[in-house]
Amino acid sequence: MVSALYIHIPFCVSKCRYCSFSSFAGLNGLYDRYLLNVKKEMDQISAGCCKKMELQTVFLGGGTPTVLDPERLVNLLDHAEKLFGFAFDAEISVEANPGTVDGRALELLRQGGFDRLSLGVQSFSADELAMLGRCHSPMEADAAFKAARSAGFTNISLDLMYGLPGQTIESWRTTLITALTLEPEHLSMYQLTVEEGTPFGDLLASGKLELPDEDTVVAMDELNLELCGEAGLEMYEISNFSRPGYRCRHNINYWQNNEYHAAGAGAVSFSSGVREKRFDDPREYCRRVEAGDTVITEREELTLEASFRETVVMGLRMMDGVERECLVARFGLDPERYYGEVLEKLVAQQLVELTPTHLKVTPAGRLYSNIILAELV
Amino acid sequence: MKHIRNFSIIAHIDHGKSTLADRMIQLCSGISAREFKDQFLDSMDIERERGITIKSQTICLPFKARDGQEYALNLVDTPGHVDFSYEVSRALTSCEGALLLVDAAQGVEAQTLANLYLAMENDLEIIPVVNKIDLPSAEPEKVALQIEEDLGLDAEMTRYCSAKTGEGVQEILESIVSFLPPPEGDPKAELQALIFDANYDAFRGTIISVRIVNGTLRQGDTIRFMSNDAEYRVEEVGTFRIQRQSEKTLSAGMVGYIIAGIKSVQDARPGDTITLRDRPCAKALPGFKEIQQVVFSSIYPISTDDYEDLAAALEKLQLNDAALTFLKDSSAALGFGFRCGFLGLLHLEVVQERLEREFDVSLILTVPSVRYKCFLKDGSLQEIDNPAYYPDPANIDYTEEPYIKATILMPDRYMGSVMNLCMERRGENTTYHYPTPGRIELSCEIPLAEVIYDFYDRLKSITQGYGSFDYSLIDYRKSDLVKLDILVNGERVDALSQLVHRNNARARGLHACEMLKEEIPRQMFKIAIQAAIGGNVIARTTISALRKDVTAKCYGGDITRKRKLLEKQKAGKKRMKTVGNVDIPQTAFLAVLKSDQK
Repeated sequence: MVSALYIHIPFCVSKCRYCSFSSFAGLNGLYDRYLLNVKKEMDQISAGCCKKMELQTVFLGGGTPTVLDPERLVNLLDHAEKLFGFAFDAEISVEANPGTVDGRALELLRQGGFDRLSLGVQSFSADELAMLGRCHSPMEADAAFKAARSAGFTNISLDLMYGLPGQTIESWRTTLITALTLEPEHLSMYQLTVEEGTPFGDLLASGKLELPDEDTVVAMDELNLELCGEAGLEMYEISNFSRPGYRCRHNINYWQNNEYHAAGAGAVSFSSGVREKRFDDPREYCRRVEAGDTVITEREELTLEASFRETVVMGLRMMDGVERECLVARFGLDPERYYGEVLEKLVAQQLVELTPTHLKVTPAGRLYSNIILAELV
Repeated sequence: MKHIRNFSIIAHIDHGKSTLADRMIQLCSGISAREFKDQFLDSMDIERERGITIKSQTICLPFKARDGQEYALNLVDTPGHVDFSYEVSRALTSCEGALLLVDAAQGVEAQTLANLYLAMENDLEIIPVVNKIDLPSAEPEKVALQIEEDLGLDAEMTRYCSAKTGEGVQEILESIVSFLPPPEGDPKAELQALIFDANYDAFRGTIISVRIVNGTLRQGDTIRFMSNDAEYRVEEVGTFRIQRQSEKTLSAGMVGYIIAGIKSVQDARPGDTITLRDRPCAKALPGFKEIQQVVFSSIYPISTDDYEDLAAALEKLQLNDAALTFLKDSSAALGFGFRCGFLGLLHLEVVQERLEREFDVSLILTVPSVRYKCFLKDGSLQEIDNPAYYPDPANIDYTEEPYIKATILMPDRYMGSVMNLCMERRGENTTYHYPTPGRIELSCEIPLAEVIYDFYDRLKSITQGYGSFDYSLIDYRKSDLVKLDILVNGERVDALSQLVHRNNARARGLHACEMLKEEIPRQMFKIAIQAAIGGNVIARTTISALRKDVTAKCYGGDITRKRKLLEKQKAGKKRMKTVGNVDIPQTAFLAVLKSDQK
């Protein structure tokens, strides 16, 4: 039963230099046509569901959804509500870029039904923002946060990035403290991953990108735990921290490897055991919806065992780990028996902990999660 | 018999032998350029890719000469690398003449000389051919002069061609007919057939290439191998056209093949003489030699589950490669594998590549070794080619190692650096002379172990590709040998042990440590790498601990991709060998074999 919906808005004001996501700048003329087609796709998804269930979470992500004006976003959300229905306590998130929202827009979004705002702040250093190719200033980020509070958002998350080229532990500390001073309910802190095919990737390949060394990054990780702990934000996933009660339910659904609907260019859905990815280019996507062709470009269906392993691997991203009873109920498999020696070795190395109810990564294992997950995948 | 010519093309590597053969085949067979695959005689992928010939092949070219007569020209192709010189010598015995091919830009090289001497030992008539005259840098007159002065061949005989464009090739074919003698021999005498090659065919078994020296051979005859008295019934005889063509008989003077239900090429050894059971000849043809393996290395499958596959692959490969030997071997680090013997380093590389490519097994090779003689204090002698069996040094009286005589030909400006290289490599009795102004032929006695390490690569690099090199084994001499062990976090990695001369031990040890440091990925703990002789550490490096390996982001849209990255990481780890608690990748084992190119 699917109770989550992701809608992708693949547009941005400009493309950031590290970004490998499905997003396009300069397609302003396509906005209305795109929204129309996304609605059409949602109609089809809804029609294809035999058993319908109210949505517990909706996530409008990008790109930058807020390059579209708030009326259009609210209209899109209304359409989804009409089709699927929302639970009374549903979590309805929208991503925003500080440079693209003002008080009025935030009020309209809040009144239109969005109750969780994820602000892409990334850094409070003007130099770092410029280096990343972000189109906003630290002041605009600060203003956007305050405007969101005034607009009535009581669940705000900030996205920050660390391990940036040239970044020092001091500059990161400043960014983090500035963010915590705003008292957000939720913080996502991502170590920069340089991907091939991005401007950063090219620079790295040609030796022109100087990233902080590993010791510095590890010191940043330690700082995150320390400062967030003091501020009452608890780490619940590798890159996510929240106040009690404010974990992102939509994302937890992903990490539990549960199913979700998705609509829009580049979006990935997972339903009836099948994961499907849509065409990245919004123009291609529109043409296909209009012509009645499939928008799916990749499809994946895993065997039960592979799906079990994937669920373990995804679940171990969370500090709570995976619940053994849930795995047995879902797959008929228990990690202790299934992995045998491999797991015993990880336990002996004190990288994971196996309790009667859970399997989870130990604090010592957190910085080596890929090594652990590569054993279990 | 008057209308048969048996000839070979001898040349230094890269001088265009296969291209000339291609052109001749095209001219004689009328195959269109479109249907023609380059390097016609080189059927293995690896031969085509590297542009070298490993297995010799034979082809019979029908040629209508200017005198109006039809001739059968048997081209016996030969390998062009020093590792395979025994094969070359066998191929040459089956011929009356040879084309000595010299690159018009490169001139005479060490292997040209070595091959020429081989041809002369076999009393072959020689037609010098200057190839690649179409090159802008070609200096055909200068090269012709070299041929006359260095090699003492008659310049009048020299032919010029461009195998690439085809210019001059027709004239060469005419010269073969007019200058090379037809074979001699008595078709009515007792059968004497010389085996000069054997190839394996999955359907027919071993296909033996022979030169009939005397007598006649028919299908249904029972043949006998003179070296071991093995007897077989002949199923088919024939000649090598574009495809094999069966014939009623093979008689004196002819080159052809025999199929006789022989299972492996091991049973048909080049150099052996075949005769008839019912009417045997009195004497075997001269020149038969057991193949000598000079380089040894252990081959292990990366995944221990692949041991059976590796065993099967080696057996199959041996069907077609009589020079390869293998025995079971085992290592604490790598599990079960095989100790293999090779003709040289190129042969080793070829075997490794063929195993990985044709049989799809991933391998780890140990440091190649030569065969040492250990004279023990109790008076006994042990021949050691595997560090694992090196006796306790306390029991060793002295050791000996094989020496070669190296012949190096180069422009004289590289003399100094090549002399240094030879000295570095413990070369002795270095002599030299100037065969022509500006060129030096240097000969030097060097331990074979020094040559198999990276001598050829170094020589190529210090002479900027102009130096060429050939060698022959001479004798065993006293050595000061030690066993160098590599320890990873205190554990000896037996597969990385090597036998080296004491003077080289530190440099080799340091090199191994540094290469391992580069190749072993950082792990969750610090890794100490040490090189030691006995309990004495002579070199060390450390790999610092990996502090973090985390994927920052993973949401609904990334799950598949991120999972695949983890699967890749898992597969990478599976390809590593765990020694103690350290994972060592295959590349690390290979890197230790590689020299550092300064």
